[in-house]
Amino acid sequence: MKIGIPRALLYYYYYPFFETFFKELGCEVVLSEETNAKIISDGCKVTVSELCVPIKIFNGHVVSLMNKNVDYIFVPRFISIGKEWYCPKFIGLGEIVKYSIDSMKDKMLIVELKNKTDIPDRIEDYMPLAEKLNVTKAQLKNALKKAKISFLKCRKLSLQGYTIPEAYSILKGKEVPPPMQKADLTIGLMGYVNNVYDDFVSMSAVKKLREMGVKVITFDMLDENIIKLDKSKGKQPFWTFARKVYNAANYLINNVEIDGIIHLTAFACGPDSVIGKMMELECGEKDIPFMTIRIDEHTGESHVQTRFEAFTDMLKMRKGAK
Amino acid sequence: MKVSFPYMGCVTGFKKLFELLGHEVIMPEKPTQRTIDLGVLNSPEFICYPFKIMMGTYIEACEKGAELIVSSGGSGPCRAGIYGDVHKKILHELGYDVEIVIFDSLFENFGAFMNQVFKIKNKTPTLKVMKYAYLVFKMINQMDGIEKELKHLRAYEVNKGDFDKCFDKIKELYDKTYTLKQMKKTYAKALEMLHAVPVNIPPENKRVRIGIVGEIYVIMESSTNMDIEKRLNALGVEVENIQYISDWVKHHIIPRRFSKEESWKMFDKGYQYKSCNCGGHDMENTGAIVHFSQKGYDGVVHLMPFGCLPELITRSIIPQITEDYGIPVLSMSMDEQQGEANIQTRLEAFIDLCKNRSNKQQISPAEAANSKELKKEFAGIM
Repeated sequence: MKIGIPRALLYYYYYPFFETFFKELGCEVVLSEETNAKIISDGCKVTVSELCVPIKIFNGHVVSLMNKNVDYIFVPRFISIGKEWYCPKFIGLGEIVKYSIDSMKDKMLIVELKNKTDIPDRIEDYMPLAEKLNVTKAQLKNALKKAKISFLKCRKLSLQGYTIPEAYSILKGKEVPPPMQKADLTIGLMGYVNNVYDDFVSMSAVKKLREMGVKVITFDMLDENIIKLDKSKGKQPFWTFARKVYNAANYLINNVEIDGIIHLTAFACGPDSVIGKMMELECGEKDIPFMTIRIDEHTGESHVQTRFEAFTDMLKMRKGAK
Repeated sequence: MKVSFPYMGCVTGFKKLFELLGHEVIMPEKPTQRTIDLGVLNSPEFICYPFKIMMGTYIEACEKGAELIVSSGGSGPCRAGIYGDVHKKILHELGYDVEIVIFDSLFENFGAFMNQVFKIKNKTPTLKVMKYAYLVFKMINQMDGIEKELKHLRAYEVNKGDFDKCFDKIKELYDKTYTLKQMKKTYAKALEMLHAVPVNIPPENKRVRIGIVGEIYVIMESSTNMDIEKRLNALGVEVENIQYISDWVKHHIIPRRFSKEESWKMFDKGYQYKSCNCGGHDMENTGAIVHFSQKGYDGVVHLMPFGCLPELITRSIIPQITEDYGIPVLSMSMDEQQGEANIQTRLEAFIDLCKNRSNKQQISPAEAANSKELKKEFAGIM
């Protein structure tokens, strides 16, 4: 059986998990191609215009998978982790996809994930798959166990300072240069994985910054214990990934020698509109330069390049003056 | 303490509650252009419109010397749950020394809820607080009931503006009411006043009814939706709004088992389209569109702030509902950039279509029964 996985949204966090999971169940995993102009324009055509770019891209990938002759397309509905929620658009992803794309109803393979921790391995959530994929509970359990191992392997690489696409390459057995240890500047690139690591929308932000001699730290390179939900700090954002990004920024501002923070966000992103302001206020208090880069379906590449250059130039001058 | 609160729904009721508790009330003003400008200036760019309006209202209240602002909170996933904390940060950043009390859900964290109650109850004996709360709740309930009726009758007023004048007078009456006994008289008088306004009600088959669904703040507060209800009434259309403060309170305080509220029924009707609530009122709204079409309404207007997270999910589902039930839905986003002419034109076009459609159905019932084509015609109006 062929399962299509869209290369969008939490592909950039959970792909090793779901790849291993489906392979263990004896399915063939088909990944959509990397985001390109056609995918984005296909996505924009079918999606409500006001939705954010990441969702449009997800729909674009689903459309591209429809043409790839797969049996099912995997659309995970991430609902909550413990008492935390995902962004409402993740919760309603099933509906968005189902009602935007024709003939999607029978092809959609949906699981509703209400995990306790970062690892989505609660067996109850996957039981609806048993019938569709013709597998037993024991097989599901076994596959989840293996999936967890792959996911943790990938997380370990991230903690060493590899970006997530680099970690995926290493897991595939490719050679990747080791992460930068020393650099002129250290910048926290704060943003969701689906924005930061999708090279088409972020215009290869990490690569561009590294070429300018910057060591980039993203939230996924920090240990979950550092950025975990901490009620003692007051009310925190109640969206999982927003909380991760916000706490990561907080940690970097207070505990790491950091030269600046760049917030990479998508046009009309709900959670970011809140945490962006909060991060800005906190950077202001600690006198750390802060820049917001907002991306959408038609960002020009030179605009991003110019702003990165100006920002790093300013940081270098500032460091020199100290 | 000088207390203020956001301007939303039946403000007379909130004012009464704080007055009875012995606070000095800084009455928030109905949002004006200045409120909106102040809010936009000091809010994050992409936050939803209600946040910006509330921000403006708070700043205006602070300028008048408010020391305590009372608002409602939540625990996600809708952004409204985090409003209070961001408001607080921004107000402190602006240099206003003001305390914000946020009421989260009663059942989620009872201790925290009671703490908040103690903060605002101002040493009033608990029994009295309960009595006041009951009084105010009843008052809001009555006023909302009057408003509901007004939105139906106003479509047929003979002299333009009669009903608005009448409702202003009713509000004044309630403003002067402090006990349950007085309230009974006020209610009778208010109803009498409402029914004394001359109206010209057409026969049943000529009446056009429109339901309003959407995000609670923009459908409830007329200044944020450019008085959409009045505009619809002026076009000769009866309006039914699904959100009122009293309904919201009942929905949140009375456990489902004992509740006779329509909101729960709407909730159930939403389940055929989605398996879980995505925050805010998206499940009710999905169900409400179905509910209106089953009740024989001629159309539904769906309002939301620009970029509203839960309502965007509803919006994705609307074409499917239109196809299944054949009810025309007009979906509009509200923000600080909206223009009057745009809204007026779209509403007029929409109402014309709704009227045409019901005429068509009356001419040939056979065509109406076989209305696949009609449904398609309206699936396009978004």
